[in-house]
Amino acid sequence: MKRHTFFQFTAPSIIIMTLLMVIPLIMAIWLGMHFLTFNNITEPQFVGLRNYIDVLHDARFWQAFNFTVLYIAIVVPSLIVIGFVMALFLDQVSGFARGIYLSIFLLPFIIVPIVGTIMFKQLFEASGLITWIYQTLFDTRFRYNEQSVKALIIFFGIWYVTPFTLVVYFAGLQTLSQDLLEAASIDGASRLQKIRHIVIPHVRSLTLFILLFSIMDAYRVFDSVFVLSELNPIYKANTIMTYTFQTAISVQRLGKANAMAVLTVVGIMIVLVPFLIQSYKEQIAER
Amino acid sequence: MEKVKSPAGRVFIHAVLIVFAIYSVVPFLWTVLQSFKTLRDANSRTPKFIFDPILDNYEELWLRSVPENGATIAFFLLLALVILIGLLLFARYIPVRNSWIYLFVTIGFAALLWGIPRVVDTAKFYDYFINTIIITTGTIVISISIGCLAGYGLARYTGYASVVILIAALAFRALPRLAFILPYFWIGTATHLIDTHILVIITLVAVNQPFTIWMLRSFFMEIPKDIEESAMVDGANRLTAFLKVIIPIMWPGIISTALFTLLLAYNEFLLVRILTQSNWTLPVAISRFTGGEDPRHLTLAAASSVSATIPIILVILFFQKQLVKGLAAGAVKG
Repeated sequence: MKRHTFFQFTAPSIIIMTLLMVIPLIMAIWLGMHFLTFNNITEPQFVGLRNYIDVLHDARFWQAFNFTVLYIAIVVPSLIVIGFVMALFLDQVSGFARGIYLSIFLLPFIIVPIVGTIMFKQLFEASGLITWIYQTLFDTRFRYNEQSVKALIIFFGIWYVTPFTLVVYFAGLQTLSQDLLEAASIDGASRLQKIRHIVIPHVRSLTLFILLFSIMDAYRVFDSVFVLSELNPIYKANTIMTYTFQTAISVQRLGKANAMAVLTVVGIMIVLVPFLIQSYKEQIAER
Repeated sequence: MEKVKSPAGRVFIHAVLIVFAIYSVVPFLWTVLQSFKTLRDANSRTPKFIFDPILDNYEELWLRSVPENGATIAFFLLLALVILIGLLLFARYIPVRNSWIYLFVTIGFAALLWGIPRVVDTAKFYDYFINTIIITTGTIVISISIGCLAGYGLARYTGYASVVILIAALAFRALPRLAFILPYFWIGTATHLIDTHILVIITLVAVNQPFTIWMLRSFFMEIPKDIEESAMVDGANRLTAFLKVIIPIMWPGIISTALFTLLLAYNEFLLVRILTQSNWTLPVAISRFTGGEDPRHLTLAAASSVSATIPIILVILFFQKQLVKGLAAGAVKG
């Protein structure tokens, strides 16, 4: 394909991405340098880097940041372990049963996250099923407080992304080399040894892929936290995204919120850049 | 891996899978139960599993007033739905060109959605449902059209520019959405475009574009180059070859990608929440039922959650194979 044909084909996509992603990002940096509320939306007032410094000195921002890090640290490893183990179990059944299990397992993933959270919340209402089980088991009432709301957010995070890792690992298991497994069987390897020495190395690149994407998605988690953190009105269960949202929409400090969004972009870039460099090398080698 | 053969092992495997299945569906099943309860039953401290199911919550959600001849209307609506879905399912056995059938079904659905508020007195929730359909369909159509062009270009051009665009797209896919949405909000407010469908659709297309072009590109890579080259030898130019030869064999890939776009657009909360004031989509409308202290919201939240989930479950039942294939393809290629 010639260079100019290539640009003809990609032009609509490039134009829309430039206009609506590259330029807004630059605008966010610029808006972050202004004092901007809903009242002076057409005439922002330039304040330089004050918003950025403000954010870095904001204790609540760091609270939200810490919770986001905690969220990633618990959710991402759980996703990988549960997804992998359940994929191994699912691999053991075949035919009709496999199809049924897979359909059921996919449910948390296809449900609208907001709706999934509300469904989850219904279980923990005063009249909810889990509240009742909890009361029967421990004989104390389940209460919403900072800890329990945070636990709930994390639990939901695991519940609704596990199907994704499960399906990815499951697809990976289907491409295992049968010869290798048979050779191992002849050598008398046990099931656990095969998993340890054949399956786990086989899914290594998949794990890297899942790790990267689930870290990024966990970093910008919003929907579930937005619904569940309303249960905790002191705003202690905020993640960076919900705190930015509150600053922009509830507190109406748009300039500061833009500065915050820009700083979160800088934060994720630290994780992202080594990966981008690696995929760049891969793509260059592949062509 | 080879299968476990001992009976005890088989029982154990199914036991684990069944426990995980219960864990996956319990929130959904509990919400379905709650949505059919009276407020009294729903707020009972000991869960009620046996109760008189009522439809009041759904009626309150969807209808402003219940029509007298409700049963007749419901019967004809269901009949129309069954006919349309039946046509869709059995299209390949009907000796008419399939594209005509699909066109007819699309028009049928549109007419049905347009006609319902003229026959019964629908509530706001129906408007949100229509908004969601308009925004989702608009996003899929625009996103897939320009995404196919770009994905094809990126799959066939091996120059330096291609790699740069792909890597830039990957970077933008990973960035937190708020960094784009807050400027959109500012632009939208300044230009009075806020609360319009077009702003939501265009911005949804943009934020999903990096994902779309990566996925479509990976499907185009699977198609051998010889196919369009032989067409071009026969005198077609590249665009004609693309439209007449490549697209017809790309349908499975396009459907997979469209399915993910559908999920992304249908599920989107943050962007719609910020860029609309009253023209909400379902996720934003439903989130309103949860905030308040009003216990009356409990059953309404349940009914609205179930209502929003059913269409997605129907679509996924149709296309589960493509969804799983798409997840696997995206993963294996990274």
